[in-house]
Order: sequence, then structure tokens, then C-alpha cells
Amino acid sequence: MGQKNDSIATYDYGVVKMFSVMAIAYAVVGFIVGIILALELTFPELNGGIPYISFGRLRPLHTSAVIFAFGGSVLFATTYYVVQRTCRARLFSDFLSQLTFWGWNLIVVAVVITYPLGLSQGQEYAEMIWPIDLLIVVVWVAYFINFVGTLAKRKDPHIFVANWFFLAFIITVALLHIVNNLAVPVSITASYPVWSGVQSAMIQWWYGHNAVGFFLTAAFLGLMYYFVPKQAERPIYSYRLSIVHFWSLVFLYIWAGPHHLHYTALPDWAGTLGATFSIMLLLPSWGGMINGIMTLSGAWHKLRTDPILRFFIISLSFYGMSTFEGPIMSIKEVNALSHYTDWTVGHVHSGALGWVAMVSFAALYHMIPRLWGTTIHSVKLINLHFWLSTVGVVIYIVAMWISGIMQGLMWRAYDEFGNLTYSFAESVAAMHPYYFIRAIGGIVFLLGALVMVYNVYMTIANAKDRPVVAA
Amino acid sequence: MKHSTIEKSIPLMSILTLVMVLIGGIVEIVPLFFIKSTIEKVEGMRPYTPLELRGQDIYVREGCYNCHSQMIRPFRDEQERYGHYSLAAESMYDHPFQWGSKRTGPDLARVGGKYSNLWHQAHMKNPRDVVPESVMPAYPWLAENDLDYGNIKKRMEVLQLVGVPYSQEQIDNAVEDLKAQAIPDSDSDGLLARYDEKVPLEDFDGEPARITELDAMVAYLQILGTMVDFSSYQAQAR
Amino acid sequence: MADEKEIETTGHQWDDEEGYPLKEYNNPLPKWWLYSYYATIVYAVIYWILYPAWPIPGGEYTKGVLGWSQHKQLEEEMAASQAAKKPFNDKISALTTSEITQDSQLLQYAVSAGKAIFGDNCAPCHGGGGVGAKAGGFPALVDDDWLYGGTLEQISETIHMGRAGQMPPHLDSAEGSFTAAQVNDLTQYTLSLSGRSTDAGAAGRGDALYRGDAGCNNCHGDEGKGSLLGSAGGEKLDTSIGAPNLTDAIWLYGGDEATVKTSIAKGRKGNMPAWEKDSEGNNRKLSELDIKLLSIYVHTLGGGK
Repeated sequence: MGQKNDSIATYDYGVVKMFSVMAIAYAVVGFIVGIILALELTFPELNGGIPYISFGRLRPLHTSAVIFAFGGSVLFATTYYVVQRTCRARLFSDFLSQLTFWGWNLIVVAVVITYPLGLSQGQEYAEMIWPIDLLIVVVWVAYFINFVGTLAKRKDPHIFVANWFFLAFIITVALLHIVNNLAVPVSITASYPVWSGVQSAMIQWWYGHNAVGFFLTAAFLGLMYYFVPKQAERPIYSYRLSIVHFWSLVFLYIWAGPHHLHYTALPDWAGTLGATFSIMLLLPSWGGMINGIMTLSGAWHKLRTDPILRFFIISLSFYGMSTFEGPIMSIKEVNALSHYTDWTVGHVHSGALGWVAMVSFAALYHMIPRLWGTTIHSVKLINLHFWLSTVGVVIYIVAMWISGIMQGLMWRAYDEFGNLTYSFAESVAAMHPYYFIRAIGGIVFLLGALVMVYNVYMTIANAKDRPVVAA
Repeated sequence: MKHSTIEKSIPLMSILTLVMVLIGGIVEIVPLFFIKSTIEKVEGMRPYTPLELRGQDIYVREGCYNCHSQMIRPFRDEQERYGHYSLAAESMYDHPFQWGSKRTGPDLARVGGKYSNLWHQAHMKNPRDVVPESVMPAYPWLAENDLDYGNIKKRMEVLQLVGVPYSQEQIDNAVEDLKAQAIPDSDSDGLLARYDEKVPLEDFDGEPARITELDAMVAYLQILGTMVDFSSYQAQAR
Repeated sequence: MADEKEIETTGHQWDDEEGYPLKEYNNPLPKWWLYSYYATIVYAVIYWILYPAWPIPGGEYTKGVLGWSQHKQLEEEMAASQAAKKPFNDKISALTTSEITQDSQLLQYAVSAGKAIFGDNCAPCHGGGGVGAKAGGFPALVDDDWLYGGTLEQISETIHMGRAGQMPPHLDSAEGSFTAAQVNDLTQYTLSLSGRSTDAGAAGRGDALYRGDAGCNNCHGDEGKGSLLGSAGGEKLDTSIGAPNLTDAIWLYGGDEATVKTSIAKGRKGNMPAWEKDSEGNNRKLSELDIKLLSIYVHTLGGGK
């Protein structure tokens, strides 16, 4: 026992703590910016004529804040936590750990400054100007070395399944980031991408879709593979399923990008590949959900008392729903209706809020008391957070389903003579109530996050009053 | 090979993962550079004039692509609403592409020439003055800010490097051409000769004496979707 | 059931120092899952055979046995829609616009088609339903006041070739330098035409300028009734000038004193683009038929005579 306690004592929890705290802070910031955007669409005068907070400049800030600042910090925190514990080894290099933390936060700060100034390279989810792109490469390489270096120190020769997903995530994101951001600088703040037109579109969505695939899916599945069995105190349901769905996911996901470009000037053949691979991706995606939910089977009674497990199960449910909805929306006929509408926005948020944010909250609730060697301040508040999040997401996605499908149908509505029934402006007017309802959904979700802030703050504050030694 | 072999080796697992993710990307991306029918051969496409180029830069800066597509899909309703479906050739000089992914506002692929400059001025100042249903933000600062064209030559050189067919003459005369297009009644023969005789020469921002960001933005919007000679495309399609 | 499987774990264990250790069962793949997965693969393969799918060497790609392409799909869609509209469109093309308005069913069709065209092309300036927009001086089409004429023929001409209104600036400009006081006089006179002058003396001086140095009457007419209705020196004015009637309550840019003064001082440039297709078929999207349908719709908006 003595030896084992040694390894716990030597883990680098400092960097995990730092990333965990920043993750929660960025979540709140990202959600607030999202709500401002939702309200700007409802009340377009809201920016008060200030360029820095106009919709077009703020929207990239929202997406980057939630995906890279919040999601990224969660992933740094959890990968560093999981890789240490599953390898029973301290992180490879304290220097690299600190470098990734300060580097990543520097990137976030740079984004927060440059986007409102309108310094953008104009590619969705990759608006960062080239110096920031370079900084990302540096941090990412450090992250890779630190992760793999730790993995190399593992005590059990078998790499734990969560780490397969983390490894795939780190490698693939590096590839996507570099290829999509190849550009020639004009000045320190401006550049033009080397790709243009149809190739630029294909590469952008190869990047964009797999940012979802590897950043928001594969990596968070890795997180799930550690925290769900740990919290449920049950073995993972099926090792065999892990293998099959992992390799299927890695191979198939990368092909799905062209489904963002159906019926555009991208050639038909590429669209077909995008659609068919998206359909084939459904079951491999569900493999993760099955493994998660079936791991909980036999521990169902714990759901009544453990709101963290409830967070896990609902996030897996949203994951299952979004990964079903995605392939459906990739079918050309469905996409013809859904593309360019709020349906897509709703789909993204059922994945981003329902799956990514909720599974992150659960992991943080699991991890934080252990990091600080204490117990959570209030289980009841976790439960409150659970309900606020769930209600918020449901309001949000239902509003977007209605507005999105309505929008799509209005655009193609014909009167009895076969002439267009509605002008575009009329479809905009029809969206108004739903934009407002969506903002309410977002506000409810934010309230949940604020409950978390309070709960976590109290937990950490209480911990400081106690002796530092962990159990 | 048993999976236990793979899951015991970091290099093996890393390389296999990399190979797996490379396959899809390569098969979908690389042929786009080689299959000849990908970009249609059409007449009329030309690189943006310096003023239009700065307009596109501002379009990107303001994040217009977040709410406006520039990609008309081949559907009956879109033909009737926006005009002929967009061709790949029409965006071949766009670094990056501006096809967009969302239509909170209407598609802009063929907005060029549709509305008067006066309308664009009123609309940018406050969209709801002309379209009461609009949820677009107002862009009053475009008319207030003088256009920065200090590095226009450098911009065109970089674009030339990544494949936009700017001639040396076009780059050398960038500043003159920009002024000639933005200031009404100036000597524009050189500009028209270097680009196209149809390049619109107008007072885009309603302020003849100044070159503002609105000049660039409206000049860019007014050219969108107007370049291709569709009679040549249709002849080729048959 | 769970307990029986306890022995079927893979035997590996991770993170076993604290809390419950990580273990794995080795349950078989769920059958429904596996067969569904196979089914999606079969679906994909069939799809690849039927539709364009794989790039192949030689700069080509597999076309699919159905011969489908998105452009062919569009052609079929358009053909079906054209076929359905053909009976109407044939008649519309053959008849004159006034003949069309006599046939209630044809008129209904034309209004439906014209409204669709109007909604996305014209309404951004002229407002939904043609109510106009004061900002920018985009005229309302629902009233009786027309700048270039409200007959079907005149409306059609306006749509075809567009219009450019030119009100020159008067305050210290190249075209004719007038002083601020003179601009004020002109403003007062203009207001007096609709009985709203507040300074009779100024209006009187403005009257003299109106038909004197400023020459306003050359466009707006001796009585200020505008180029469409008015006359100057006993001759009808050129109706293509588009100078508005100053005697009624309808104002293009606003009829309050400040706005009128601005119009006189700085001038105005109204501009309606031409909507006729050019020879390349791309610059303007409206066909002859479209313009005819649109003219009829605009004519019915309320002000048509």
C-alpha cells in the first residue's frame, strides 16, 4: 500500500486543477457570449452600434470560447488526470505541463482580443490569425510529447481504452489544424489561405467536421471511458466493442466532411462519400454510448442518489440522439431541407450542450473533490445543476427544430400556381419568437453553470480549511 | 495481428491511427485538384479589383459569412429566388471560399447589381430602415472609416503567390486602380483595360470625395455573381 | 446476471489505488448493433453503385448506374414546374398586359407570380407589399403618386431599364451656388406649395428663384406638380425626368422642413437598377415574362390607374 500511495502523492494534480478551474470559467464566458448572440438576433440593435460586439465578430468568439477554451481546458484537465492515474505515473514533464497551460490560455486571451477587433482569417472554427495558429502548433506538440511521454511510463503494458481515444484526438487534431490553416502572411495580423474555392471548402469542412469528430467526440468518449466506470463502480461493458467501435470511428469519421457541402459546387461524388460514410458512422458512434450506458446497467439504483451519474447518463443519451440525428441530416434529401437553417444550429447544440458540456460537468464534479482531497460542497446543488442544464438544452433544441424546419419549409413553399409563397424577409420575421425562446434556453443553461461555479468554489474553499493529505 | 499487440505499443497505435485518418482525407481532397470537371471552364471570371478585394477583406473581418451564404444550390426554389446555381469557377479566386454554412440572412452569391448603391448605403447604416424584418446588425462604421489600402500591393502579391492570376501590371497599378474605381469621374481607362470594361465605376458610398470602407464593401457586393458569362457555360453543358 | 460476468473481465486493471479500479468485461458485440452496422455498409455499397461516388485514376469518377446528378435533378424539377405553369405562361406571353388584367384567373396567376418575384427582388427597397422606405427615398408603390407613371406600360419600362433620378445640389456647389439664405427661401416656397410655409416673405423670394435662377420649374413644373403631371411654359414636361410632385402630401425623402432643406441643399440621387437580362444572361435575372408578371403585380398594388 505504501508504494501505491507514493504514486498518488507524486501525481501532478496542480496543472489538472488549473485547467479545471479555467474550464469552468471559460464555460461561463462562452455561455454568456452565446446568450448575447442569441439576444442580438432577437433584438438587433443590442450591440449599440459598437463594432467589437457585433454579431459577425462575436459569433466566432462564442464558438472558440466553448469549443477550444472550455472544451479544450476540460480535455487538458481530464487527459492529464486520466493518463496519470491509468499509467500510475506522474506527467512526463512539469515544464511541458506548465507550457501547455500557459500557452493554451495565452491562445485564448489572444483570441478574445483579436476576434472583436475583426482580426480573423474567415474560416469557421479556425478564425485565428496565423501567429495564433503557430502558437497552437507549439502547444499541441508539447501536449503530444507530454501525453505520450507519460503513456510511455505506464505500469500496465496495455494502454487503457480512454487513452486510445485521447491519442487519436491529439494526432488527428494536429493534422487537421496544420492542413486547414496553411496560409501566406500579408502582415503580422493578416494572411490569405493557400486553398481557394472548392478545395478550400472541402478542406475547411474536412477540418470542421473532424474538429467535431475528434475534438468533441473521440476525446470526450475517452473521458467517458474513464469517468463512467469509475463513478458507477462497474467494469466497462465490452472490451471487444471498444476495439471495434474505436477503429471504426477513427477510420470512418474523417470521410464525413462533405455532408456539409451537399448540393453545392462540390462535385456529386464527394457528397456521396460524405453521406454514405456518415450513415456507416452511426453504429460505431453508438458503440460508445452502448459501452457507457451498459456499464451503468446493474447500477441503475445509483441514479436515484447520484446526480453525477445522472449527468453521465443524460449526456450519453444526448450523444446517442445527436449521433443519430447527424447521419440523418447527412442524407442528401434531408440535408436539402436542413442545410443553412437553424436545424443545424440546434443539432450542434444538442451535441455541444447535451453531450460535451454535460459529460464535462459530470467529469469535473467527479474530479474536483478528488483533486482537492475533499468532498463536494453540495450534492443537492449538483442535482439542481442537472435539472437546469437538461431543461435549458431541451428548450434550446426544440426551439431550433421548430424554427429550422419552418425556415426550410418556408423557403421552398409554393402557392397553388407554383410560385414562391414567402419572401426571404418573411421567413426571417417568422424566426423571431424562436430566437427569443432559444435565448431563454441558453439563460437557463447558464444558470446551471453558475450553480456549479458556486458549488465548486465552496468545495475548494472548504478544502483549504482541511489538512492537505488525501485519503 | 492481435489487438493486444497494438494496444501495448504507442508507436504502432499512433501510426495506425494516422494511417486510418489519412485515407479518407486523401481520397476526398486530392482528386479535387485533378478531376478536370471539378472547376467549370467558363468565360468572364477575373480576379477582384483592388477595391473589391479590400471589400472582401472587410466582409471577412465583419464575419458576414456567419449569416450569409454565397452558394446557390441547384434547387427550383433557389433558382427562382436567387438566380442560376453557383459554379465552382465563381469562387476559384476566393481565399478562403465564402460559401457559408448558414442563412440567417439571404444568399449573396448573386446580389451584385440587384440593388442600388443608395440602398446598400441605407442598409448598412441601419438595415431596418429599408427592411423592417431584418435582424442584421447596423454597420455605421463602414461609412465613417477611411479605407486602409496601405498594403494592397502586398496583398495582391500574396494572392498571386497562392494562385490568383494577377499580372505584374495589375499589382504595380493597384493603388491607382483602387482610387480610379472609388472616386467618380477619375481616369479609369487603365483600370478597365487591366480588369474588365464592365468593372462598375460608381460612387459606392455616397461620399464622392472620400474612399471609405463602405466604398470597398459595396464595390465587392455589387460584383458578386455577375462575372460569369452564362451563355458560355450553357453551351458547354450541352 | 451482473455477478456471473464478474469472472469474464479481461483481467487487466487500471487506476486501482483509489476507489473502484477500472476493469473491462468482454461481452460480445450486441447482435442488433453488429447487424445494423452491416446494414449501413450494405446501404453504402448499394448507394455507391447507384450514384456518383468514387474518384478513379484518369481524372474521372464513377458516375453510378442511375445516371443521377444534382444538375439533372434540377433540370427535371424545373421542367415539371415549367410544364405546370405553361398554360398560364403561354397566354400571358401572347396577350397584352391590359388583356391579361381582364381575365380574372390569369390576373390571379400573374399577381401570384409577380408577388413572388417582388418579395425577394423589389421589397428590399420598396418594402413588403410596396410600402416604400423613407431612408434612401425608395418610393412607395401603393399610393397614387408615381414619379415615372403608373400605367402598365410605364411600370414595365421602369423595370426594364431602371431609373436614375437627379436632383442637383444647390448649396455652394458647382452646379449652381446658392447661399444658405436662398436655400431657405426655396425651402419655404416648396413648403408653401403644400400650404405649410411659415415665412411668407421667404416663400415669395423662393418663388422667384424657383422659376428664375434655380430653374426648378424645368423639372418640377410651373405649379410644382412634378414632371409627370406638370408643365412649364405651357409645354408638358419630359416624363422620364421623374421629378416628384411637390404639391401633395407624399414625400420621397420626407416633407418636414429640415428634410426638404437637405434635399435642396445637397441634392438627391435616386437610382433603380435595370432588371432586364443582359446578353450574357447573368447580370439581371428577370426574363421578359418575369417583367410582365411583375408589372401586373405592381400595377395592382393599389395605385394603378
